Amino acid sequence: MTRARRLQQLPGLLPFLVPALLTGGGVALPLLYLALRALEADPETLRDILLRPKNLELVRNTLSLLLGVLLLTTLLALPLAFLTTRTDLRGKRLFSILLTLPLAIPGYVGAYVILSATGPGGILPLPRLEGYWGALLVLSLITYPYLFLGLRAAFLGLDPSLEEAARTLGLRPLRAFLQVVFPQLLPALLSGYLVVGLHVLGDFGTVSLLRYETFSYAIYLQYSAAFDRVYAAWLALFLLLFTGGLLLLEGAFLRRLSLARTGKGSGKRARPLSLGRFTPWAYLLLLLPVLLALVLPLYALFHLASRFPRENLTGLWEALSHSAMAAIPASLLAVGMALPIAYLAVRYPSPASRFLERLAYLGYAIPPLAFALAWIFFSLKGLPLLYGTLPLLILVLAFHFLAEGLGPVRGALYQVPRRLEEAARTLGDTPARAFFRVTFPLLWRGAVAGGALAFIGAVKELPITLLLAPMGYSTLSTRVFSYTQEAMFAEAAPFALAIALLSAAFVGVLLWSERRF
Amino acid sequence: MQLRRFLTLIGLAALGLAFAQQQTLTLYSGRGQSLVEPLVRQFQAETGIRVQVRYGTDAQILAALQEEGSRSPADVFWANTAGALGQAASKGLLRPLGDTLLRQPLAFVPASKAWVPVTVRLRVLAYNPQRLKPEELPASILDLPRFAQEKGLVGRVGWTPTYSSFQDMVAGMIALHGESRTREWLSAMKALNPKSYASNPAMLDAIRAGEIDLGSTNHYYVVRFRRAGYNLGLHYFRDGDAGNLALVTGAGILKTSKNLVAANRFLTYLLSPKGQQYFAGAVGEYPLVKGVVADAQLLPLEEALGKSPKLDFEKLPLDQALRLLRELGIL
Repeated sequence: MTRARRLQQLPGLLPFLVPALLTGGGVALPLLYLALRALEADPETLRDILLRPKNLELVRNTLSLLLGVLLLTTLLALPLAFLTTRTDLRGKRLFSILLTLPLAIPGYVGAYVILSATGPGGILPLPRLEGYWGALLVLSLITYPYLFLGLRAAFLGLDPSLEEAARTLGLRPLRAFLQVVFPQLLPALLSGYLVVGLHVLGDFGTVSLLRYETFSYAIYLQYSAAFDRVYAAWLALFLLLFTGGLLLLEGAFLRRLSLARTGKGSGKRARPLSLGRFTPWAYLLLLLPVLLALVLPLYALFHLASRFPRENLTGLWEALSHSAMAAIPASLLAVGMALPIAYLAVRYPSPASRFLERLAYLGYAIPPLAFALAWIFFSLKGLPLLYGTLPLLILVLAFHFLAEGLGPVRGALYQVPRRLEEAARTLGDTPARAFFRVTFPLLWRGAVAGGALAFIGAVKELPITLLLAPMGYSTLSTRVFSYTQEAMFAEAAPFALAIALLSAAFVGVLLWSERRF
Repeated sequence: MQLRRFLTLIGLAALGLAFAQQQTLTLYSGRGQSLVEPLVRQFQAETGIRVQVRYGTDAQILAALQEEGSRSPADVFWANTAGALGQAASKGLLRPLGDTLLRQPLAFVPASKAWVPVTVRLRVLAYNPQRLKPEELPASILDLPRFAQEKGLVGRVGWTPTYSSFQDMVAGMIALHGESRTREWLSAMKALNPKSYASNPAMLDAIRAGEIDLGSTNHYYVVRFRRAGYNLGLHYFRDGDAGNLALVTGAGILKTSKNLVAANRFLTYLLSPKGQQYFAGAVGEYPLVKGVVADAQLLPLEEALGKSPKLDFEKLPLDQALRLLRELGIL
């Protein structure tokens, strides 16, 4: 397409370009402002901040948690994915769904369950897990499903002929697996690591409740308890550095890999491995995460909720409606913003449209706490009328969860034949008109799925809500967090239960609609 | 049909009129919702004045008040700390109060006359009585690190460095003993490898559960745990010690208030026997007017007031305390 023709199309594309650019700005501008704010500090303060010994401790803590969680999630997800795809076990579908459901449990609820259920006076006769080990366990149990899902897909798409070739060349099963199969799983592992890593870096609820100081926790402390905004801004920048490093690492590793089939014809399906006498052990392994990450939290929540005084249920309705009033418009907005970006990326692929798309994903990769902090600075300076209002909370939630809506919308868009739109265009419609008359009706399923993902993300979200909600606007997530902080476990239970059940229902619906299993 | 429509109209008009006549008071509260809500409900029921509450931390509210400037809808600022009220007063956000209000409290009336003290809490030492004997506990909080070292309590001490009352206590320590002595104390505490908790109930729960043995806290938290049937020890240091610092809560009327009458009634209500009895009973704080029955577990008011060091509570060096905590890597 020549430059001139592209320019000619521009006016017709404006209805897509303008919202897409605004969205990109909403992600990029606050970050820029955060950097500017941080640099504003006078040299002496700056030296104090940068050379604080505490920073080293935070780096060490954040890194060791990150590595620990990646290791533990691999140890969990790899065998689980193998067992549910390549063996002759019964009920693999059911287990796959059960093993995915811990996604529905937010970290702060996991931390809450550990704190309330263990230790003296808890429901379980276990010593209380806190600090590093507590955070490691909770974060691993709620993030391994990301890795599990990716590895499952990789195992299912794996061509068994390679492995068989290796076996006929005399390799033992284990060596064949390590030398031939494992490298093919690397892309899935790496993209899983990225998602899990972003979660660990961005997590705030788990580490602060379990008292393990990482960057996220330190940012919140500096902002809310010590009111040092400059140091908080710097910590946020450090955290962004980590996130950026993770993104670059993943990109660099992936580029060097080339694992696609080069031969003709389609790959065949692997013959299920018979487990024989190991079958009971396999079931035990499958049951363990389900018990720990699903059954135990739900049992603890129901148990604690039963002790909750009935007359306080009004608070539950208020929190539920507050959550809905923030999450419903945020998810609608997120899908509304995802549509033009997806449209531009699919119909007009160019470096510019790809850049917009990357920006949207960046909004998701930025640790929410840093993002919220950036928006606080930015809105105080640029949009003081918005500061401390519900619309700002909705806007920032939408920017953050935009990427969750983007995937399904884009997927649906790929399936809408371009010709339909072109037919409408030749009949005289502008691109926007053609889109709304012809394309949109065909991709609403994708839009609904994207909206549902964004909605449940917004309901579970803690740091953005905590920092940006209007004063006294308490949602399900902020209630759980504040009650748990005060060690009021029974009071927190109904709110945590509401979040868990709501999310679980949505995850179930999504899995069903995508026919993943 | 017509008649019905007419009646509906009249009904709506009457409702609108009633709504317009009903006063609404906007309260910015630095104190927690669970504590404020029952009292506000009581006030609404008795006076018919509608109260709208915005909750936040003291610092959040101070920031919001300055952000909103002259357009602030707030009538009353009810704060958790005297420091926040002092700052609001020095920034000219508060309106001077009349003598009828200021005459009532027994102590802590600020020189600025811009706010009234409502209740007092004391810093105390909470401990596990199964592990420690009351007579061996130190007489000053400054001796706490040495005591803990001698008793082998390394790793078994709790603290709440992010909590405003703890920071107030450190500020009080600076005011009494100077910065270098306070720095020494904080470093000695750090050497005990203390467990830091986000809130006092979490710390007391850890004492109850046997995770730690002691920690400095606000007295009413101990009272609440004891009422719930848990056996927790409460230790006062010697009279005038920084470890017994009095923490004054209070309320003031904002210059921007458009409902002065209602705002005055609210402050009066906070100091009324009914209001004060609520704090003494349900919350476990010290009332500040005469004739209120305090919790039987607590010292009489005069004796309790004698425990605290005498300081200008409006002017605790909080910034200095925060800087020090940050410098030592505690925050």
